[in-house]
Amino acid sequence: MKAITIALLLLGVLAAPAWAGQGSKVYELGVDGLGCPFCAYGIEKTLGKVDGVDRVDVDMKRGVVVVTIAAGADFDRDTARQAVEDAGFDLRSFAPAAEE
Amino acid sequence: MRAADARPTARRAGVLAALAATATLAWVSVVESAPITSNTAITLAPGEFVLREQFVLDESGDDPSGADRDREVKGVISVLGYAVDRDLMLFGVLPYLEKRLELTEDGERRARSARGVADLRLFARYTVFRRNWLGGLFRISPFAGVETPTGEDDKSDAFGRLPADIQLGSGSWDPFAGLVATYQTLEFEIDGQIAYQANTRANGFAFGDVARADASIQYRLWPRELGSGVPAFVYGVLEANLIHKGKNRSGGVTDRNSGGTTLFLVPGLQYASKRWVFEAAVQLPAVQDLNGTALEKDYIVRGGFRANF
Repeated sequence: MKAITIALLLLGVLAAPAWAGQGSKVYELGVDGLGCPFCAYGIEKTLGKVDGVDRVDVDMKRGVVVVTIAAGADFDRDTARQAVEDAGFDLRSFAPAAEE
Repeated sequence: MRAADARPTARRAGVLAALAATATLAWVSVVESAPITSNTAITLAPGEFVLREQFVLDESGDDPSGADRDREVKGVISVLGYAVDRDLMLFGVLPYLEKRLELTEDGERRARSARGVADLRLFARYTVFRRNWLGGLFRISPFAGVETPTGEDDKSDAFGRLPADIQLGSGSWDPFAGLVATYQTLEFEIDGQIAYQANTRANGFAFGDVARADASIQYRLWPRELGSGVPAFVYGVLEANLIHKGKNRSGGVTDRNSGGTTLFLVPGLQYASKRWVFEAAVQLPAVQDLNGTALEKDYIVRGGFRANF
């Protein structure tokens, strides 16, 4: 019985991240103007303030910002463009990357 | 030259040295981003702050006046910048300095010094041109502000009132303006700046106006190959400061032993991450074309950090 309890707990811990991310959406934004690490912080912070944004990851070399949106939240090209331009950069492209 | 003649000359030359130090220190501290000794055109994201602390050691000597003057200015310059929107940034620059002048007067070695808050500089910078592309940007931003008389300008010691060069503040409201441009890629960044400060009169004295042109290049030394994400960069930095100062005026009389032109070459090193920048540089005078018996600059060492929040 003890072994089964431990196994169930372990399964729960391992499965938790998958449940938490279920239904979230990921978008890949092409952003022009990212030239230094100090600049990357600005766009992370600006996009992070947008309603529904769970996570922002910048890849400077590709000029790409990956945005993870919480389940049920809306995020579209206009919202992305506004946030990127507010931060002083330009939106080059916008595409859904994956749906979890 | 007789000793009696050398004394006022030495004082005037000291004023020039102080002007050089004060103006150079203050201009350095207007920086917000990449260059170490001048400005940049890059703004932060709206609502962001940048805090910068820069420690400075400024040495002057090689006195041609015979008074064997040695001058040292050390301190910390605090800068707080705030991005109102994507184009407008506001800055406050507050130096805390210790100034010390040693010289030989009346056959004895004397030291005169002052320590405390110097003149606060307030200015705004606005981006008038922006261009972004994959991995790079170009910006042009004029800026304007004023140096306010927050530093004490009437300090005295056992020998009487300190000369203007040792006072912490000028006592005057001094407007300044300039233009800065920045070209940035993932491999390097180039910044260029021109600026002018009109120094007004206080206590019957006015420092000469200051015009300067600055250039800075920062080249990414590490990592040589960019990986994914946002790696920290180590930049090799080379800068140049061409600074021209007009002659001072006291009681309506122009001081011939003040003002001149100096060209500094500035090697440095900078570590930049998403939220922190650590940097150090040394300003070496390559050319000094000074008037009269002005005190020559030996070097200026700068080191500090910036935090983005």
